[in-house]
Amino acid sequence: MIYLNMFITFFKIGLFSFGGGYAILAMIKQEVVLNNPWVTEAEFMQIVAISQMTPGPIAINTATFIGYTKGGIPGSVLCTFGVILPSLILMLLITISYIKLSKTPWFKAIFKRLRLLSLGLIAAALIMVLGHAVQSLFALLVFIACFVSSWKFKVNPFYMLIASAIVGILFGDISISTMNWSEISHALLGIFSHAS
Amino acid sequence: MLWQIFITFFKIGAFTLGGGYAMLPLIKKEVCSKRGWISEDDFVNGIAAAQSAPGPIAVNISIYTGYHVAGFGGMFMAVLGAILPSLITIILIAMLFQQYAEQVYVKRAFSALRPAVVALIATPLIEMAKKSGLKTQNAWFPLLAAILVGYLNITPIYLIVITIVFAIWESYK
Repeated sequence: MIYLNMFITFFKIGLFSFGGGYAILAMIKQEVVLNNPWVTEAEFMQIVAISQMTPGPIAINTATFIGYTKGGIPGSVLCTFGVILPSLILMLLITISYIKLSKTPWFKAIFKRLRLLSLGLIAAALIMVLGHAVQSLFALLVFIACFVSSWKFKVNPFYMLIASAIVGILFGDISISTMNWSEISHALLGIFSHAS
Repeated sequence: MLWQIFITFFKIGAFTLGGGYAMLPLIKKEVCSKRGWISEDDFVNGIAAAQSAPGPIAVNISIYTGYHVAGFGGMFMAVLGAILPSLITIILIAMLFQQYAEQVYVKRAFSALRPAVVALIATPLIEMAKKSGLKTQNAWFPLLAAILVGYLNITPIYLIVITIVFAIWESYK
């Protein structure tokens, strides 16, 4: 029974999350901490921190982790599938219509406008992470170095991330990151739970 | 072909830290420049479409690209490739390394990875500005959207619906 309930809950989360990433966290918290007693608030914070530190979309990482905590490997697969199923259905419909209709004037008009909105939404994501991720001189230098190397010199992002991790291990300032991990999560969740 | 799609998206999924938007330059590099699977114009439209559907941007863009390249099979391989690295990593961490997040070297690595991820969001913004038809006359629109969503935390769904309705009205006017 809990499997069905978890699947439905994560399906709902997937269906109503627009704008990606951090915007989804507030909704997941509402569902798994408040509406269902699956994890405590402290456990949720730890799961969010781990999800940010591991590869992949944050919504999927959180779904997998909570699924595993409550229902082992079947639970984690089920929650992950639940959270991506709405995307799978809706995005497939959008893609098929894009291929079929991309020559029609009204469809072109929609994408002409959506492309501009898309720029604004990426800028919004940048605004949201910039203040939290760049809080020290070290972080600012890494940001500038990465920005210049990826924009001007077209450095492959894979190598750039590996190089950043090595620089961090060698010269990184852990006093800042220890201080801020939970604060950052708390602040973000606070902002988004007010928004929704 | 399907195997190549799977491998490409697995690589993308394995290297995406900090969520969706940071993944865009990686995907673009792989599917446009390196493999030539879709045109840059279709890719920019794909990002706009991915933001208009619910769910993680990274998953949506995998669906879009995979279907474009090889239909249903391509779509499933792309999604599977993109989420499998997360699934494996998280299950391993949940099973074995609950204390992973507390490791000093992990924290050190992340003190540099977090600003690096921000740079990966900033770069496509500049590249996309050229491709999106941004001019001085229409710059107010993305700026307004950025302020509404980034500072005032308005849910993007309202902006998406208004934009689509306005565009349809405009083309039938």
